[in-house]
Amino acid sequence: MTIVENFARKVLCATALVVGLGTAFLTAPAVAQDAVSPRAADKALIMVARQDPGTLDYVKSILTALRLWIPANVVEPLVFFEADGTVSPGIAETWEISDDGKVYTFNIRAAMFSDGSPVEVADVLFSLNAMKGSPVGSNAAAFDAVKSMEQTGDRQITITLSRASQNFWRGMGDMSGLIQPEAAAGGIATNPIGTGPYRLVEYVSNSNLTFEANPNYWGEAPAIKSVNVRIVTDGTAGLNALAAGEVDAIPVITIDLWEQMVSRELDQAYSLVTYPQVGEPTYAVINQSIDHEVRKAIAMTLDRQQFNDAFGAAWGAENTCTFGLPNMPWYRAESEDTCPYPFDFSGAMQMISDNEFGDIEMEYVSLSDVPDLSLPADVMVPMMQAAGFDVTRNAIDLARYSQLIFAGRPPQFDVTIMSGPGEPTQWACPDPSAAGWSTYCSAAYTEKLTAADSAATDEEYRTLMDEASAILRDDAVIVPLIAKLGVGLLHPKLEGFIEPRLGVAVELSSLRW
Amino acid sequence: MVTYLIRRLVFFFGALFAASVLIFILIRAAGGNVAAIVLGRHASANAIDALAAEYGLDRPLPVQYIDWIKGMLHGDLGRSFRTGESVADLVVSRLSISIPLALSGLILGLIIAIPAGVFAARNAGRPVGAFVGLLSQIGIAVPVFWAGILLSLLFGVYLGLLPTGGWVPWSVDPIQSIRSLVLPVISLGLILGAVMTRYVRSAILDVMNQDYVRTARACGMTESQALVQVGLRNASLPIVTVIGLQMAELIGGTVIIETVFSIPGLSRMILANVAAREVIVVQSTVMLIIVFVIFVNLMVDLLYSVLDPRTRLGQ
Repeated sequence: MTIVENFARKVLCATALVVGLGTAFLTAPAVAQDAVSPRAADKALIMVARQDPGTLDYVKSILTALRLWIPANVVEPLVFFEADGTVSPGIAETWEISDDGKVYTFNIRAAMFSDGSPVEVADVLFSLNAMKGSPVGSNAAAFDAVKSMEQTGDRQITITLSRASQNFWRGMGDMSGLIQPEAAAGGIATNPIGTGPYRLVEYVSNSNLTFEANPNYWGEAPAIKSVNVRIVTDGTAGLNALAAGEVDAIPVITIDLWEQMVSRELDQAYSLVTYPQVGEPTYAVINQSIDHEVRKAIAMTLDRQQFNDAFGAAWGAENTCTFGLPNMPWYRAESEDTCPYPFDFSGAMQMISDNEFGDIEMEYVSLSDVPDLSLPADVMVPMMQAAGFDVTRNAIDLARYSQLIFAGRPPQFDVTIMSGPGEPTQWACPDPSAAGWSTYCSAAYTEKLTAADSAATDEEYRTLMDEASAILRDDAVIVPLIAKLGVGLLHPKLEGFIEPRLGVAVELSSLRW
Repeated sequence: MVTYLIRRLVFFFGALFAASVLIFILIRAAGGNVAAIVLGRHASANAIDALAAEYGLDRPLPVQYIDWIKGMLHGDLGRSFRTGESVADLVVSRLSISIPLALSGLILGLIIAIPAGVFAARNAGRPVGAFVGLLSQIGIAVPVFWAGILLSLLFGVYLGLLPTGGWVPWSVDPIQSIRSLVLPVISLGLILGAVMTRYVRSAILDVMNQDYVRTARACGMTESQALVQVGLRNASLPIVTVIGLQMAELIGGTVIIETVFSIPGLSRMILANVAAREVIVVQSTVMLIIVFVIFVNLMVDLLYSVLDPRTRLGQ
């Protein structure tokens, strides 16, 4: 038998196997989960996480994989900001804010940490100081206006600011306001302690996080007594585990799995939840050194619906011209009022032709192996070319991209599409000459953000953020396209899921069978 | 024999030194550092530098290398930057999963490969022999992740006989631990079996055509007797080599299986720590694996010299 015949046989059989079993795999629908989970009787729950946090030190790490599980469940902040804008007590039982917004007085709850030690004012001051000195910019930024933090009573602290600061107040209901016992701070990376409804029993990296109801919790005891979070990095394996009934929920399903989730009808068999907190905006970035009129013409070639269609899941993505996510007060869905440069292909063609913008050579850098970014590139580049721009697509893979970033030589480009955190303050940068490969720098925008931070009232804050948002849209450096929501699948009998109140944290205590 | 042993030991330590330098340089050549990963892409350069300094990454590279080697020689593999956990503890906990997985996969592979290879060799040129060869080719062609996913779907999702993935620690429920390993071991064993069947078949075919086997047959032995009593020892040489290489590769090379089945083994730990630029964890763990690989090769060489005295005589 010749080598060629051998090879042909091998290919034939392997193809038959792949096609046969692959067809079965792709066409087999999920079985509807009418049955009660085997964990329900034990008041237990198994969830899937796609990423391993590596460390649980929330003071030093910004990783989402950590922020999904530890805040709110194990460690609590001073206060909680509810979805309707009201503020609920956390470690602070009550609080007072001076009329000028510069003095905050927090009365600390007589609660216990999960290790049995009482919450002392010293622990609160230690925690806030740790966050103030945190290397994570967003943790420390809340304390920019803080002048002093001191004990002013048995169970009271007073924080004095140099100016009113919305970032400070919101930070006290977010990561910056998390409270830990000083005595246990050394073990924070593997065993963070807090006052939350759960205590961490075990963390095995790349394996699991196990939580149990905290017997010392100051609030109402959670209905689910035991939660195991399995770290399943392979997305298909996670969906398989759900389909087999081995796990009860995957609270974060990344966009690369949406198509498989729908084709396997898992969205029908399980409760599909969408929520913005773990979502990300997808936005075009046009190099700030390019003329504003050219940027405007590029923005006019962007048909947001086309980008939305490319992801094939309208329930998980919304068209928008506002940088942010739907849970942010200044966010607006796509509309004539909020889109300074709406899709107008013929208008863009006319501008390009009239002004000879087609003579400008432009480079579009795209990450070829990140579906989130390569899919929109497949839409954007042909549209720009069809409109008359001379744009060349330079595809690089994630490994090469990361290497360039790590080496301090980020890829330079004229146009690209990015996806990332929805916080608009990340673009605060007053000096336009400092604008780099993926940054936007505007004195007017930064001033407006600063003014918003110093706002005395919520209403003023929102107005100023609205105005900042309008500046960003008009400049057309960061051009929002769609807001991708976080998507999760839950066992249909699992109830009580709420949108995260603290960053992206999946709150376990509200869940029940 | 003593000269041979000394020569092999000199090679052993020389290779270890070269490997240690190479690992140390390569992990750093990849760029980036753990501080940058932990702090995210929007962190300022100052914040990254400060955290890197806290981790001791700002020290001169020769100092870092000497400290690491000193620690290794004293049995201290270092500590994870991010969690402060001992690397030795991490490795031991992961080996309690990786070794049973690798050994079981290898044993299953041998259980498949030896009879299948012998059968294919004895039936070479016949349809049944070709059929075994074809199965072996398919086994080699099918990617291990694909086999893993299909097995997981079939036995986990559709039949519900075994867990689709995940790991239950030995200390919690040993029966469930074994159940967690069944599908990964089958995936690994099938692929290894397919690969090794080819080696066994070739080795057997080689010896079956040797003069001494023909002489044994001429002296009245049946084909089976000649194979078992005369041929097998000679045929075992290349097979032992392959087993040694496969075992060494398996200890740190089962990352796909561990990922598909969500098993927290040594390979996944290394991969995660490479991504996080945990240089101490990576370099110490990889160094341990290299020590193991070189040691296994040394043992294979020594076994060779026992099985075939010509090798130690340099013939």
